[in-house]
Amino acid sequence: MSERSVFLRVAQRGSSFLSLVKKLWQHPKGRVGLILVGFLVLVAVLAPVLAPYDPYDVTQRAEKGLRPSLQHPLGTTITTGQDIFSMLIYGSRVSLMIGISTGVVLAFLGALMGVMAGYIGGFVDNLIMRIVDVLLVIPTLPLIIVLTNFLGRSYFVIVLVFVLFGWTGLARIIRSLVLVLKNSNYVKAAELAGASRWYVMTKHILPGTSHLIIMNTTLTCAGIMVAEAGLSFLGLGDPTAISWGKMLAEAQGGGALLFGAWWWILAPGAGIFLAVFSFMRIGIVMEEVFNPRMKASSSIYKLFKHLNNTYLEEVFRSMEDEECPESSQEPDYLDASHAEGPP
Amino acid sequence: MKRSYVIKRILYAVFIFFVVLTLNFFIPRLGVRDPAERYYPPRGAMSDIEYEIIKQFTREQYGFDVSTFQQYIRYVQGLMRLDLGTSLQPGSPKVTTLIGQRLPWTLVLSVSTLLISLIIGLLFGTLAAWKRGRWQDTMLLNASTISIALPSFFIALMLSFYLGFELELFPAYTNPNMVAQFDWSWKAIQVVLNNAALPIMSMTLGGIVGYSQTTRNSVIAVTNEDFVITARAKGLSHTTVLYKHVLRNAMLPLATSIGMSISGLIGGAIIIERVFNWQGMGTLFLEANSTNDYPLMMGIMLFLSAFAILANLVTELFYVILDPRVTVGDRR
Amino acid sequence: MTDPMLEVRNLKVAFPCAGGVIRAVEGIDLITKKAECVALVGESGCGKSVTALSIMKLLRTPPSVSRIDKLQLDGRDLARLTDREMERVRGRDMAMIFQDAMTALNPVMTVGKQIDEVYRRHTRLSRKDARQQTVSALELVGVPEASSRANSYPHELSGGMRQRVLIALAFACMPKLIIADEPTTSLDVTIQAQVLDVLKSMQQDHDVSALLITHDLSVVVNMADTVYVMYSGKIVETAAVQGLFLEPRHPYTQGLLASVPRLSDDKQAFVQIPDTVPHPMRKPSGCYFHPRCSRSSIPCPQRMPRLEPLENGRQVRCWHPLHQEREM
Repeated sequence: MSERSVFLRVAQRGSSFLSLVKKLWQHPKGRVGLILVGFLVLVAVLAPVLAPYDPYDVTQRAEKGLRPSLQHPLGTTITTGQDIFSMLIYGSRVSLMIGISTGVVLAFLGALMGVMAGYIGGFVDNLIMRIVDVLLVIPTLPLIIVLTNFLGRSYFVIVLVFVLFGWTGLARIIRSLVLVLKNSNYVKAAELAGASRWYVMTKHILPGTSHLIIMNTTLTCAGIMVAEAGLSFLGLGDPTAISWGKMLAEAQGGGALLFGAWWWILAPGAGIFLAVFSFMRIGIVMEEVFNPRMKASSSIYKLFKHLNNTYLEEVFRSMEDEECPESSQEPDYLDASHAEGPP
Repeated sequence: MKRSYVIKRILYAVFIFFVVLTLNFFIPRLGVRDPAERYYPPRGAMSDIEYEIIKQFTREQYGFDVSTFQQYIRYVQGLMRLDLGTSLQPGSPKVTTLIGQRLPWTLVLSVSTLLISLIIGLLFGTLAAWKRGRWQDTMLLNASTISIALPSFFIALMLSFYLGFELELFPAYTNPNMVAQFDWSWKAIQVVLNNAALPIMSMTLGGIVGYSQTTRNSVIAVTNEDFVITARAKGLSHTTVLYKHVLRNAMLPLATSIGMSISGLIGGAIIIERVFNWQGMGTLFLEANSTNDYPLMMGIMLFLSAFAILANLVTELFYVILDPRVTVGDRR
Repeated sequence: MTDPMLEVRNLKVAFPCAGGVIRAVEGIDLITKKAECVALVGESGCGKSVTALSIMKLLRTPPSVSRIDKLQLDGRDLARLTDREMERVRGRDMAMIFQDAMTALNPVMTVGKQIDEVYRRHTRLSRKDARQQTVSALELVGVPEASSRANSYPHELSGGMRQRVLIALAFACMPKLIIADEPTTSLDVTIQAQVLDVLKSMQQDHDVSALLITHDLSVVVNMADTVYVMYSGKIVETAAVQGLFLEPRHPYTQGLLASVPRLSDDKQAFVQIPDTVPHPMRKPSGCYFHPRCSRSSIPCPQRMPRLEPLENGRQVRCWHPLHQEREM
């Protein structure tokens, strides 16, 4: 059961956030992801400093519908004359804040539920899994629309729904892992020594799942950022906030398509792309780091392109018995004339 | 053994439906003591007495004058008759009628997207698995990351801009007369296809990549299984091994994937319908939202949930046919 | 001597990987005569299964690379055959029985269909006739109620039943050579005995040559005529079964035999060969066995001994083989 061994391997690595970051940095793709995320966080934090204009300040509006120029690198909006470049920078705040904060909350909630369901089992497990089943059939987008109608349009409602519904994915994965960990020796030893359930859960099981949690959370953040963009696009977020999704809605409604202001659409889209992509990159690299077998390893294939390279021949020659007259026949190649196929 | 499993699944689905139904009943009552206030929020210069009279009238009209429990019973009874309520639109059309009008149009988009994504995804996925480690495979992996990072509505906007406005290949906004003028004639069908092109394109791109990735992973996992070696050791031809042994088993996780897509089939098109102003369930829901048409909104919610439950059930039962190993066992 | 049924000369298999090269099989020769049962014995990781797969040409080129001087089945050269041509050979002239019957069978196909496949592929039988053959094949291996069992799925059968299905599968077209890779390892002892009986009678009654791959010496003693002992990719001893068991020449063989607990022994400690098999990427210098060998001296750590012929067609690869004195 290779799935089981994968889980065990994931669980058994020592956990340390710093060592994880270090490992990511060493991986070339991981490095790119880390740099991008760092860059985005900086932009979001330093937005007031970096943006040439304050898009919230009504007095800083310029002429409407300006094309990109030196003063306004991305022009101004057709509807309000706000500087698009500044809006782009400020927009990062909403995406990152919602993405990261929701992701973190979901990490806790999902892990908690998963560990409880997996470790305590029985009634608790049943209950949690049934709740998961119900939550899964309720369509989230319509529900958010309904709730924003009843409770007002705000990011609070959006985050609430994300949190209420989003923990199910992580909970399931963690639960599977916990079911495996439950039977491992060090857990059984702790139980026999009389440790309380809570102790075992927090000190033994939870650390074993930490890597899975972190990896899943990164990907969850990415997913949330996409979802938030969609919701903002529909106008369900805080009407006063500036977010990339909302910019896209304004662009379409404001006639960007009609007047050919494609940069107004491209900019927030690029922002969304960059944010989501960088988080996903980190998540994928993490998966490779924890689970090397999953790699779409082109390197092995490249190795084989040079089938008759000298190193391999050396190896084969070294397998011969010494002082043996070389075979007079040409050695046949078992693999010479086969058709290629899935390995 | 299998029959009891099937019955269990069906009963469970009904149970879930009742839970969802109950939730659906109580959600509109959130945050408001008196449901009538929701239907008729206090407006402007109205004296309290006038408002009370209006509220009482509203209550009677919408059946809030009885106890909550009785309302619930009536609600459930209505559902047994397949009555999802009456919309607040002028003319008081039934929710089910409205859904019936708009649903086919959403299905036009969703079903086409599903089929196209699935077929192309299967092909690409198998190809990527075949050429594992080579450029086709790495390209797929990159495409996966990129397609998730590019939300479908952004692609929709870009397509709408470039293909719609600039090149004028397809209409960037759906023809508002498309629905009314539809008469099953070839010309009308052409109009529909023309208008549907951009929405479908926006949605299939993500779908293709998704299915390709799932297929690829599944095929690679199966190819490494022992029974594939057995099949080859029997001297079966490449194609036989591929179809009857590899793909037949690789389809199983894919079926689960497809099931999930189907349950989100209708609700998932909301954003795209909004971008193109396509008159389907999505826009119906958004309209209901902007006019505070609560019966319609909640009716659609319930409908979507019921659809999701049904889709899940069908997938599970189908899976039983596909995989003979699934018997009375509970969670996989 | 009659022509051999299977002739393998100088088979080498390597698996290049990120850290280096895994030297799985390092130039082995194997001969199986008609109706003979040859056992290939060794611990896990010595390259036995890889050898079996190589003979059937089932190894894929990524991730493996192989070289061979000669591969002949009943006089027919297999080394030069294309994959498509090999497809005609596999299942019909040469068949394989795998170790784990649960994973070796397609979980979504009935066992009957999986056997039918073989007939329909290699013979011109109709669907009905193929099914008839399948049922008789199942009866032959001792599956009760064969015709209804044929419609079962692999997970519905017991371990022993599944193994019999694998045997029926392999013998379906009465191939000239059967390769059995650890056919009994995953079974209980009593079932093991039954399955081996079936295998033996099938082999003897139908004159089929067999290459039996195992690490279990008790299986070898009951089934094999000739034994090849393999260690870390190399053949270290070959002999007729009796000679091997009574008078092992290679220290490793002796160690293997000694480590089998016997009921007749007085209560002694388990005999073990110290340490473990060498890692296939980091093999010792000289003779691969020398770090674990009690007889190791010059030149064992320096040079790899050759496979030297002894009397009675025996061979041994050792600088200091046992019972050396007797030969003189």
